[in-house]
Amino acid sequence: MFEKAPPQPPARSRAGRAYLARSGATVAALILLAAVVAIAAAKGETHIPLGTVLQTIANHLWQAGYEIDPIDSGIIWNYRISRALVAAACGASLALSGAVLQALLRNSLADPYLLGISAGASTGAVSVAILGLGAGMVSLSLGAFVGALVAFGFVALLAIPAGRGAGAIILAGVAGSQLFNALTSFIVTKAATADEARGIMFWLLGNLSGVRWDDVYLALPVAFGGLAVCLWYARALDGFTFGVESAASLGVPVRRVYVVLIAVAASMTSVMVSLVGSIGFVGLVIPHAARFFVGTRHGLLLPVSALIGAIFLVAADIVSRIILDGQVLPIGVITALIGAPAFALILCHGRVLR
Amino acid sequence: MISHYKHALAVGVFAAGFMISAPFAAATEYPLAIENCGSTLHFDAAPERVVSLGQSTTEILYSLGLADKVKGTGVWFGPVMDEFRDVNASVPRLADNDPGFETVVAQKPQLVATQYQWHVGPKGIVGTTEQFNELSIPVYTAPADCVGKDNAGGGDGVRHDRFSMDLIYREISDLAQIFDIEDRGAALIARLKDREARSLAQVNASGNSNVSTVFWFSSAEIKSDPYVAGKNGAAGYIAEKLGVTNIIDSDEEWPTVGWETIARANPDIIVIGKMGRRRFPADDWEVKMDFLKTDPVTRQMKAVKNGNIVVMDAQSMDPTIRLIDGIETLAQAVDRLSATN
Repeated sequence: MFEKAPPQPPARSRAGRAYLARSGATVAALILLAAVVAIAAAKGETHIPLGTVLQTIANHLWQAGYEIDPIDSGIIWNYRISRALVAAACGASLALSGAVLQALLRNSLADPYLLGISAGASTGAVSVAILGLGAGMVSLSLGAFVGALVAFGFVALLAIPAGRGAGAIILAGVAGSQLFNALTSFIVTKAATADEARGIMFWLLGNLSGVRWDDVYLALPVAFGGLAVCLWYARALDGFTFGVESAASLGVPVRRVYVVLIAVAASMTSVMVSLVGSIGFVGLVIPHAARFFVGTRHGLLLPVSALIGAIFLVAADIVSRIILDGQVLPIGVITALIGAPAFALILCHGRVLR
Repeated sequence: MISHYKHALAVGVFAAGFMISAPFAAATEYPLAIENCGSTLHFDAAPERVVSLGQSTTEILYSLGLADKVKGTGVWFGPVMDEFRDVNASVPRLADNDPGFETVVAQKPQLVATQYQWHVGPKGIVGTTEQFNELSIPVYTAPADCVGKDNAGGGDGVRHDRFSMDLIYREISDLAQIFDIEDRGAALIARLKDREARSLAQVNASGNSNVSTVFWFSSAEIKSDPYVAGKNGAAGYIAEKLGVTNIIDSDEEWPTVGWETIARANPDIIVIGKMGRRRFPADDWEVKMDFLKTDPVTRQMKAVKNGNIVVMDAQSMDPTIRLIDGIETLAQAVDRLSATN
């Protein structure tokens, strides 16, 4: 205890170095993200030469005016790039929601679907597709979105009389998820033929194939908006990691932070689920991975989680398209296949779960 | 010269059709034992009361002039064929979809004819074959749903052999035999075969070869991967029969295939399904048409640019008696294609 303290580097230069390292890592992550988006544009169901891919991008970004087959350029720009951007926004949002909920609820197993959102989305989607709710006028996406909000509302209503604390929210989420999953199973068993059930399950496991630019215009603002709100409360989240009372004693407006951040996480997740189905493991695993790299300060943890989530999901989407020839796997299968072992690895490392 | 030749060919085919249609058939001898989907059905006399589940089977019975024997119908996919509208109005409709077991039995049928084993079969949702047999009601199943097709997994089953119109002809001749009207059955088959032959002649006479197509049934989400016809199903048969290439080479009956693949294959003709079902927005053919014309990629396809989008009744893309209409629709489209080229 009385050993000589190691020589401390001057405070300012340490902070400066940390800042440099941070911005360096951020730039590296951004470059990596751009790289996976480019790979996503080059890889698809059919083979399009890399030159055509680059020319298409140049045409759209700088009006380069290359002569390209309009079908090829349409596929690259309208199908593949929009798809990669939505995947990125979705990965970022899910990871961000996971990081926020883990801090808020002080539970390392918290993930965005804890709030009943994916269960509710499934119920909404099968109500539309199998029960025929909306008589063909309502899309699966809208059904899933409404279902997610209803389930979240139910969980919130259940959590309030149950004591409003982290434990109450988690238990309410479990109860709500179970209820809505049971409803989904009931509808599928009662009314669906095997093929219908298979089609819906495929969609629910995550499917980016119908994504176009109008989805990008929804997904990107939601992701950036969510990130901004969460960053605004980053210091408050730091306070929460020591418990609700400590946070309150640090002057954190506990109730408001709870309401705002849970609402933000729930809305981000609902939008993403309605766009692409419920993609698992991203919200659970990525925040742990990010903590492993940058520690627990939320000012840094949140943007890094978002970036890693974005990179991971774009990469997973590429894998889902090329792993089986001529067939696209649901992306949720890939994220779970990669996510589960990765999670095990992090678990064994232990220290992130403290 | 060429048009003379075309004309002669058409007349020849027409004449051939007439020769086939001169029917000769013996009366059915009872007791009759008939093989159907792996079991043997026994009849001591022609049934007087039949319940028909499945629109195609019902329309076959009507086409055979057996409407007065039909005491109940179910499993409808759309309006009945125009020519049977009055006839059908006088037959009790037990349900639009699947009637209950007791509702069927209450009609005291001497035969239940089903289009799909999904409704009546080993795991039928209306009733199992066994349940009906216990009440001494034989069940006749459309051969199209059991020959070369595995329904053990339930649901729509998996077709592992290519569908052929012969399966529909077998259903017609089986039912004609059961009801002791074999001459009417033979005449109906001859008429349908004649229409097939004339459509093929029309395609050949159009002088247009190497035509390619895709059959788009529907999509779970309008922009998402569509359900399109593989090579083993009824739509695959239409293409094969007319010598048109189906760009989808899958063994599945209705696989989902990405628009990227379809757009790059760039078929000459796009066939879109028209149906009464409204489960997905894309069930509506106008929604499909609108998508093809507005999506930044599909609107560049040559079939869309040249206006070669064909609307086809969805039942004509499935193993039904209406398949013939589908053959004629596609044949006309191929013929028109040459006119626009």
